[in-house]
Amino acid sequence: MAEIVVPIGPQHPALKEPVNFRVIADGETIVRLELDISYNHRGIEKAAETRDFVHAVPLLERICGICSHSHTTAFVQGIEEAMRVRVPPRARYIRTAVAELERLHSHLLWLGVAAHEIGFNTLFMWTWRDREVVQDLLEAISGNRVNYGVNEVGGVRVDVPERVVARAMKDLSFLGRRIERYGTLVREEPTTLVRFRGVGRLTPDAALALGTVGPTARASGVPYDVRKDDPYAAYDDIPFRVVTQTAGDVFARTLVRIGEMAESVGIVRRSLLDLPGGPLKVTSPRVAPRAEILSRYEAPRGELVHFIRTNNTDKVERLDVRTPTLANWTSVVSSLRGHPLADLPVVVAAIDPCLSCTSRIAIARPDGTGTTSMTWDELRDHGKRYYRATEGL
Amino acid sequence: MTRSAAWTADRVSAAMQGLGTGESVAANRVRVSVPAARVLEALARTRDRLRCDHLIQIATVDTGTTFELHYHLTGAHRGIVSIRVELPRDAPRIRSAHGILPPAALYERQIHDLFGIEFEGHPDLRRLILNEDWPESEYPLRKDWVMDPGKSYGGAAKEVG
Repeated sequence: MAEIVVPIGPQHPALKEPVNFRVIADGETIVRLELDISYNHRGIEKAAETRDFVHAVPLLERICGICSHSHTTAFVQGIEEAMRVRVPPRARYIRTAVAELERLHSHLLWLGVAAHEIGFNTLFMWTWRDREVVQDLLEAISGNRVNYGVNEVGGVRVDVPERVVARAMKDLSFLGRRIERYGTLVREEPTTLVRFRGVGRLTPDAALALGTVGPTARASGVPYDVRKDDPYAAYDDIPFRVVTQTAGDVFARTLVRIGEMAESVGIVRRSLLDLPGGPLKVTSPRVAPRAEILSRYEAPRGELVHFIRTNNTDKVERLDVRTPTLANWTSVVSSLRGHPLADLPVVVAAIDPCLSCTSRIAIARPDGTGTTSMTWDELRDHGKRYYRATEGL
Repeated sequence: MTRSAAWTADRVSAAMQGLGTGESVAANRVRVSVPAARVLEALARTRDRLRCDHLIQIATVDTGTTFELHYHLTGAHRGIVSIRVELPRDAPRIRSAHGILPPAALYERQIHDLFGIEFEGHPDLRRLILNEDWPESEYPLRKDWVMDPGKSYGGAAKEVG
């Protein structure tokens, strides 16, 4: 059969950021994938150059609605390093607790989205219900459910009092039980086994060569984790395990994220129980001396990098942000090759892209008589029908 | 907080002999400035002799007089090696690193879009970040870039209908 071009994207109101794929398919098989992520450039790096460090933090918090704390932590830690400011231990522990709660809510959200992409909506409902517990806890700590506004240069802006610690312990016990349940469920449920196993496979060599980061890399047995490799906040003090798998498929990425959630519950518990006394912040200078900092952070989706140049002023001369999703795109483009079109939604979802895609897909008829349109929902349904027909799901 | 460097500045200097000298810029990071014409050789040596298998980022800075590219790499040893090159602002060109480091292709495409740096031998330098109706030859992350009020930068015209 002749190759056909399937444009997917760029708008989708249900997800966060728009993207456009041009899928070149031979029948049901994907031959090649081309990428266009030009729909959501907001010029934040440029805007950051015009704001002093105090005003840059809330701006950077808004790079991403899910990893908001990741971006501010990467930034303030970079500026603190440039200023040679030592952050009080209590602030480092609170940053860690919020970071791991953010990972929990992000991974729960991901598990729900991945389940939804394969038509397993019961799991979607369960994980998103449990995610509310995390959101409520974040609200109890910071007053906010999404952009927590916890960080500032020199420390944190909110304290975690005893009363909130006590409540957190109850919530964490509940979450621990739920996460254990998900670990069993995905290993037993035929839907997840058939739709996740062997799909979107990346060998360890490919995962390394293609520059993958985070759970995507760790599911292929590449144990990079900035929390261990280049420890920040309180990760040097708190024991935790870097979760890896070897299969490199969507199933392995699922198990890695579920394993990481169990570790995150442990880290939040430890950081709140061991919360050191003392101040929340130190007063930091207004200006940063000339410095060049490479600030790395393990965001829920993987290694996040803020390259910062300061120049004896109260603003950055340059802030260059490399997000984990950009690092993982190369692997998506490669791991979809040779896969059926039906697997596209779940393989794209498996890197947990911080973007959103697709309002429509136009299918070009091979004989060139025109195009028809399909929404992402229809593509998802196509995937369900395909597997119903081929696997009897 | 950070661990000791996996590679000392001396070790990096030895690997980069003839190209540049290692300079310790953080507890775990060594930086080498190399001539732009020999960047591929430096990256290949970083990969092979310093066992760096992960390209963290290609950071780009417009200093006002030159463009700097910083290729940050790491490996199983967890140390970071930064290869720094400078390009003239009037004709910024450099060889593409995608053959040595496949993830570079996407990063270079982004840099080309925002800074107007040409990567020779790149398989696909089409627009990636800026919108399709953004004017040609306008690179918003350059320090001297200002918006031209007479031009359209994309989106719907102000008075529709």
